[in-house]
Amino acid sequence: MAASLERGRLTPLGWAALVLGAAIMVAPLAWTLLLSLKHNAELVGHSGAALHPPYTLENYAAIVGNSGTMRWLLNSAIVALGTTAGVLILASLAGYGFARLDFPFRRTLFVIVLLGLAVPSQAVILPQHQLFAWLHLHNSYPGLILPGLIAPFSVFFMTTYMRGIPRDLDEAAMLDGASRWTIFWKVILPLTVPAQSTLAVFTFLGSWNDYWWPLISATHSDMYTLTVGLAAAQMNYAQTSGLGFLMAQAVFASIPIFIVYIVFQKQIVRAMAGTAVR
Amino acid sequence: MASLEISNVSKAYGATPVLDRISLAMEAREFVAFLGPSGSGKSTLLRIIAGLETLDEGEVRLDGERIDGLPPGRRGVAMVFQHYALYPHMSVRENMAFGLRNAGMPKPEMEARIAEVAQILEIESQLDKKPGQMSGGQRQRVAIGRAIVKQPKLFLLDEPLSNLDAALRMRTRIELAQLRRRVDAALIMVTHDQAEAMTLADRIVVMNDRRIQQVGAPMEIYARPANTFVARFVGSPAMTLAPAIRVEGEGGYARVRLGCGAEVETRVLPAALPKDGALQLGLRPEMVAVAAPGGGTADAEAVLLERLGERTLVYARLSDGQEIVADDKGDSRLKVGDTVGLSIDGAAAHLFGPDGAGHHAEAAA
Amino acid sequence: MSGTRDWRGLLFVAPFLSLYSLILIFPLFRGLWLSLNRVDLFGDGHFVGAGNYVRLARDPIFATSLVNTFEVTLMIVPVLTVLALLLALALNNAGKGAALLRGIFFSSAVLSVTIVTLIWRFVLAPDSGLLGELWKSLGWEPLAFLSAPGLVLPAIAVTTIWWSVGLPMLLFLAGLQQIPQDMYEAAALDDATRWTTFWRITLPSLRRTLVLVVMLQTAAQLQLFGQAQLLTAGGPSGASRTAVLFLFETAFGRWELGYASAAAEILFLIILAVTFAQYWSTARATEGRDGR
Repeated sequence: MAASLERGRLTPLGWAALVLGAAIMVAPLAWTLLLSLKHNAELVGHSGAALHPPYTLENYAAIVGNSGTMRWLLNSAIVALGTTAGVLILASLAGYGFARLDFPFRRTLFVIVLLGLAVPSQAVILPQHQLFAWLHLHNSYPGLILPGLIAPFSVFFMTTYMRGIPRDLDEAAMLDGASRWTIFWKVILPLTVPAQSTLAVFTFLGSWNDYWWPLISATHSDMYTLTVGLAAAQMNYAQTSGLGFLMAQAVFASIPIFIVYIVFQKQIVRAMAGTAVR
Repeated sequence: MASLEISNVSKAYGATPVLDRISLAMEAREFVAFLGPSGSGKSTLLRIIAGLETLDEGEVRLDGERIDGLPPGRRGVAMVFQHYALYPHMSVRENMAFGLRNAGMPKPEMEARIAEVAQILEIESQLDKKPGQMSGGQRQRVAIGRAIVKQPKLFLLDEPLSNLDAALRMRTRIELAQLRRRVDAALIMVTHDQAEAMTLADRIVVMNDRRIQQVGAPMEIYARPANTFVARFVGSPAMTLAPAIRVEGEGGYARVRLGCGAEVETRVLPAALPKDGALQLGLRPEMVAVAAPGGGTADAEAVLLERLGERTLVYARLSDGQEIVADDKGDSRLKVGDTVGLSIDGAAAHLFGPDGAGHHAEAAA
Repeated sequence: MSGTRDWRGLLFVAPFLSLYSLILIFPLFRGLWLSLNRVDLFGDGHFVGAGNYVRLARDPIFATSLVNTFEVTLMIVPVLTVLALLLALALNNAGKGAALLRGIFFSSAVLSVTIVTLIWRFVLAPDSGLLGELWKSLGWEPLAFLSAPGLVLPAIAVTTIWWSVGLPMLLFLAGLQQIPQDMYEAAALDDATRWTTFWRITLPSLRRTLVLVVMLQTAAQLQLFGQAQLLTAGGPSGASRTAVLFLFETAFGRWELGYASAAAEILFLIILAVTFAQYWSTARATEGRDGR
């Protein structure tokens, strides 16, 4: 075995620790799932009942019948997909500009974008809230989407990726009589598909899971995203229809994100590899 | 009629000049090689012709039309890139169609052209493959095909052979030779490999240090190098340049003495040589034969033997330390350390003046 | 390239840059201005200079929130980093099954903070939580993790570690896979023990990843917000109020926008300072040792 030196067998003790760790990771998830499968009444004052049957799907049926949660799901989908599409478009255009075109103040502008990486969201969220109030954009989809579009990392990422594409290809296309736009659209953009998919996955996850901004921007419950909806649900736990239902909401809200995660696992791992090397 | 005319082209990157008043005219359908070391400006000149670089001064004309202000796609030139630069996400067919489509060519004509070129290059069966699925040699052909299909007035080949292994290099050289016969256009090839330039080109433009050093047919460049740079750059192994001073000679030709005292009678007319100043005697290995010690022009010690099979190159050191390369037969019995006689064929030797300019044996009548 | 500088290139970057200016750069300066004003929900407010900052310096609630933030960061970052490194090392050696385990350890990282707190609320709760049930089944009195002042920050730290361990683990795994195998072969020929190999080869090779992980995690945990807001609302009696929670309450509870902005600026400076301090200290410590 070539890879046997450092990647030697894990000792039995190591395996035991690893499995124990995995169990600790899974236990809260399993607990949540079990709770969600119980009658709410059965759990009152006795959540240990979750460990034994009978189990039921009635909480999930209640969610599907609950227009509120479905509305939040729709909002989350619109916001996350809108943000993802917007980020891909803006970052691809800007990335191409920074990677390939020469225009006045190019370096300065790129540095300004990079400096944005150092700005934590809490440093600008109050004035952003004020700005969106002036623009009457709170409780609207544009209001929820726009702040997600200005991620400096996305521009940095696409610029770096496009710089890695051989310039020969641009030059060959110039000799083939292609315009700047044709080169971008027909030659460079198709070659960035791996980067686009990685960026898309991360943007989607980030947007879907974002809490801070929708919390302060979406104040009407019909504009809540799932994240904010679930926050409201757990704050009002005492008044909600019960523990089982609440946990079913948590599971329900996790399903789309787990599907994205499982389908795009490769992109996530590859993106990590890229980050670690840099 | 001249196809490409370059006049007084200069180019600098910031304060660094890379081309200094380059002028050149090409015949129709001529194959010209730009030969030079890296940094000589040859690639920049090619890219200026292609329109990938701007020029600071001068003009470029193609078939009489001034093209230096035109975008690359409108110049009527096609380029084969060193690393092919095939569009990786397009099939071979799409690679060839891309330029035609940008030019707005109707589909039937486009397809006919692609089919014809694919047939000539024998890549019909590959048309639907992506470049990534092909070998290096096949990609090279597609790159050539993508250039041919545009029917340009001028082909630009940027180091077309440098990417290939030795076997493929020979085959592609033959293909390039065939290419120039097939196309009704002029060709320019940039290369740092003098053997490539010698075998393929009608004329070689030797470049160094921002300037054209010499323009001429391959054998002319080899036989009558304009200066010491060309003399050393063209030919392998490089020409020996030995410091020499003029001495009185009989006959109408220049006679020189080497540092070791040996004298060589050349066939160079003295009239063109400077009256005084240091000269250099230029000797290719084939002008220096091995003889018995004492039996040649000078004696030397063999310091290295390079056995090439059909011949043996003898790197020898004269008594004053001057190194000189001589030619011996393939089964030479010499050993390192042996003393040998060297007989110098002064009739073929070159002389270079203090300014580096070359002076050559009077052409045999 | 055709060397000429061309204004048209700006067209490609203009869409991003205009939004960027509007939604990031303008708010950055606006925030600075707000922090120098007394602004509430009604009206434009008036200039108070450093007034908000002076008030912050004297505000024990803000001071406590900063202390809480540092405490929870110090609880999380070292443990999280070591755990993630250990997991990566183990998974790197696990062969078959590693992919599945990697998937499990990363799975919690894709959840939103609200789902995480929802899950952990009913793990930590003494009356209906998983740990409560466990304690009871062992015959112990359940611990009130979220309402005991001494337990609440550790409880939030554990929740956060559970949530965040996957990302640094993946970074370390990627880093491990970049280490050239021949270094281990050379070490084996030199008869190095596993322990020596780890300290002399693996860890130094992971140095860049380590710095990256610590910097990213520190910056993230200094902004810890959702866990505290959702699990405890900062309680009991402020014992888990973090700096960002303080600024959230000030801005959107009491609508003191100027005062909250000043707190935001302070926190921004702290994060920048800590991140740069970490960067410089590691850069200096390894100066000359690193050929790259």
